[in-house]
Parts: sequence; structure tokens; C-alpha cells
Amino acid sequence: MMEPLYFKEQLQAKEDMLASTTNFLLQTQNDLERKNKELILSNNDIFDSINFASIIQNSLLPDVNILKIFFKDASYQVIQQIGIGGDTVFIKNTNKGVVFGLLDSTGHGIPAALLSISSILLLKELMTSMEIDNPKILLNLLNSRLHKTFNNKASIAHNEGAFFCYSSANNSLIYSSAKGKAILLNKHGEIQELCSTKKSIGDNATTEFELFELAIMTGDKLIIYSDGLTDQFGGEKNRKFSRAGLKTLLSKQYLKNASDLCKLIHHEFVTWKGENKQTDDVSFIIIEF
Amino acid sequence: MTKLQVKDYEFNLVKENPFISLYYNKKLKMAICSAKEEYIPIDYFKEMFLHISAMLKEFEINHLVFDKQKLRTFHQPSMEWYFAVWKPVVKNMGLTNHYKILPKLDWFEKAVEAGKFEIFHKFSREILSGITITYVNSTDQAIDDIVQKNKFFE
Repeated sequence: MMEPLYFKEQLQAKEDMLASTTNFLLQTQNDLERKNKELILSNNDIFDSINFASIIQNSLLPDVNILKIFFKDASYQVIQQIGIGGDTVFIKNTNKGVVFGLLDSTGHGIPAALLSISSILLLKELMTSMEIDNPKILLNLLNSRLHKTFNNKASIAHNEGAFFCYSSANNSLIYSSAKGKAILLNKHGEIQELCSTKKSIGDNATTEFELFELAIMTGDKLIIYSDGLTDQFGGEKNRKFSRAGLKTLLSKQYLKNASDLCKLIHHEFVTWKGENKQTDDVSFIIIEF
Repeated sequence: MTKLQVKDYEFNLVKENPFISLYYNKKLKMAICSAKEEYIPIDYFKEMFLHISAMLKEFEINHLVFDKQKLRTFHQPSMEWYFAVWKPVVKNMGLTNHYKILPKLDWFEKAVEAGKFEIFHKFSREILSGITITYVNSTDQAIDDIVQKNKFFE
């Protein structure tokens, strides 16, 4: 048992300890508050920068009305995870019709946005310098250019996506797809998932993409989408929205026109996501023939 | 208690006052300083640690465990002396590995952090250069660490 002689001394030591700890905690709190203010400022700077970058990237998105010249209705949505990202839509009219497609670049955020913008500029350059009306040639050329530009030394940049060429003269639709996701929804609500070449764009300089032809009927709808849509976590059990979920939605809503269907998919996506973080960049194009 | 058995090692009581006991094991070159009360007055504190410095002239002590589990109050001037005066002296005599066992109380750990912060602010962290301080949960754990780092004990 400690001698009472030291009780007073211990009490004083305890008070000093309490004062010192309080002082230390206050100092720590002040440091945290200062660092928090610095973080808020940095965060604001980053978001201002991203918001402006988002305006620049969005300005590269094409005018959907070009598609409406050739088809009954058309609409698209690009919802990047952080305002800028790797998903993009391409539309370019040609002498014979229109070329359109969707590109999903590796990853998300700033690196994906840089790759996406580079890919779109390469596509525009290719389409301007040559009159390309064959999606296989377009994908092969883009593949070779992307590989040469980014992946010659190290494999850093890849795209997935599907490109379609519509010829108004014979009402034909041909396409090539690099792991692209697309669905043909007929006027009876029946669904056909379109096949693709299981290779990415930019991976290998010698990749040859396949060419497919798609028989289209009046009233059919073509849905091209990025995997960010079906990979989104959410719902009651926090599961992926899934291809099955998308197909169920489409088969129930097949009577809607392209614009309304586009709005509906967007609404379903946002509802499914709820409070969850957006998993990836998301984009989809709906064409109604 | 003149002997203290920790794992397979027997420690002899070499000095005791009403507030601290000091044990030593020659093979491990290790001493254990164990607080007996919730507070150690500075005179008793200095007496014990000065005894360790004196022992270092005759015995090899490379590792010191300071078991503070019973402490509920520390005296900041004692801590300052311990860090800024005593530790640099014993470092030059070969005692460089210090193990600490704190009471399992969050508020005490915070108070130690605050005390050390004040000391480093006053003397700079340089006072601890060349000294290894390891926080452990028990003397067993300190011995395991020493044995692991010095395989020749096996």
C-alpha cells in the first residue's frame, strides 16, 4: 500500500498528466481541423478541375440527331463514374449511311478519359482521312493505331466496344465488336444477344475483328451498352444489375420508343444503384428501326 | 519474491523499493523493471534507474523491460529525466533495447503519447537515436522477441 505522504504528490502528477493530455488532444484536434480544411480546399480544386474536364469531354460527344436522320428514333446516355471517364459514343455520317458505336476504355476516371478522348480523336481522324463504311476495317485500323500509340512497349490501354455501319441504300446493318455488348430487341419483345470477337482493341497489333451482318425489321430496337450498366451493384440484396436484369427490363418494355426506353434504363440504373457508389462508367445507345 | 520465472528463464531480484522491483537474467542479458504501485515518486524512480546504470558497469544488460501495468499516473519530470538524461547514458553503456508494457487503458496510452510529445518537442526526437523501443503486452512477448532476434540463445 502506498504511503499517504505520496497521495498529494500523485494527485498533482495526475492533474499535470490530465492537463498535458488535454493540451495534446486539443493540439491534435487543431491539426486535424487544419488538415481537414486543406483537404476540403484540395478536394474542391480537384472537383472544379474534373467538372471542367467533364464539360470538355462531353463536348466531344456526338449529336444524336444524326442517328434520327436514318432511324425512327435514337437516344443515348453516358454516365461517367466521376464526371469524366472511359465510356464514349461515336456517330459519323458517311456517303452511304451512318457509322455509330460505343467504346469502353480500360478502367475509369482520368486515365480512362485520356484514353477515351485519344480513341475518339483517332476514330475521327480515320473517318475523315478515309471513307470507311466497314466496321471491321474501322476496328482493325483503330486496333493497330492504338497498339502503336500506347501498347508498343507496355500493355496499358485497351478498349472494348461495338461499331455498326448502316447503309441507307439497301437498309443493311453490319457490325464488328470487340467484346462489345449489344442486344437486338424485336417488336414482339424477343431478345437476341449479338456476338462479338473476344479480343480488346489495342491489345495485339495483329488482331483481326470479325464482321457480322444483322437482319433488322421495322420496329426492332438495337441496344448497345457498356458493362458498367450490368455490373452495377445495388438493389435490395446489393447484387449486380446483370445482363439478365437488363434483358428482363427490355422484354417487358419493348413497346416503348428508343427515347423513352433510354430514359427508363437510366431511371432503373439510378434506382438500382441507390446509395451505392457507381461501379464503373456507364453508357448505352438505343436505336429504333 | 526473490525469483521471477518467465517462460524458461529465471530472473533474480537484484533490487527492490516500495514502488519498483528489478530482476535480472544473465543469460538473456535482460532486466525487468516492474512497477508495484500506481504511482512512482521521482526519488524512488531515479534510485532504481541509477542502480541499473551502476549495474551496467559490472553486468551486461542489453534489454530492459519496463512493466508499467500497475501504473495509473506518471510523473512528467520523471519521464523527462528518464528519456533525456538516463536513456542516452545507458545507451552508451550498451543498453539499447527497451521494451515497454503499458496498462491496457486507452486514456493511459494517450497520456503517455502526450507526455512523449511534450518531451520530443522540448528535446527533439534525436534523444532516442540508436535506441529501440518496443511496446509489448507481456514479458513473455519481450523474451520471445529477444530470443527470435538472437538465435544463439536457443
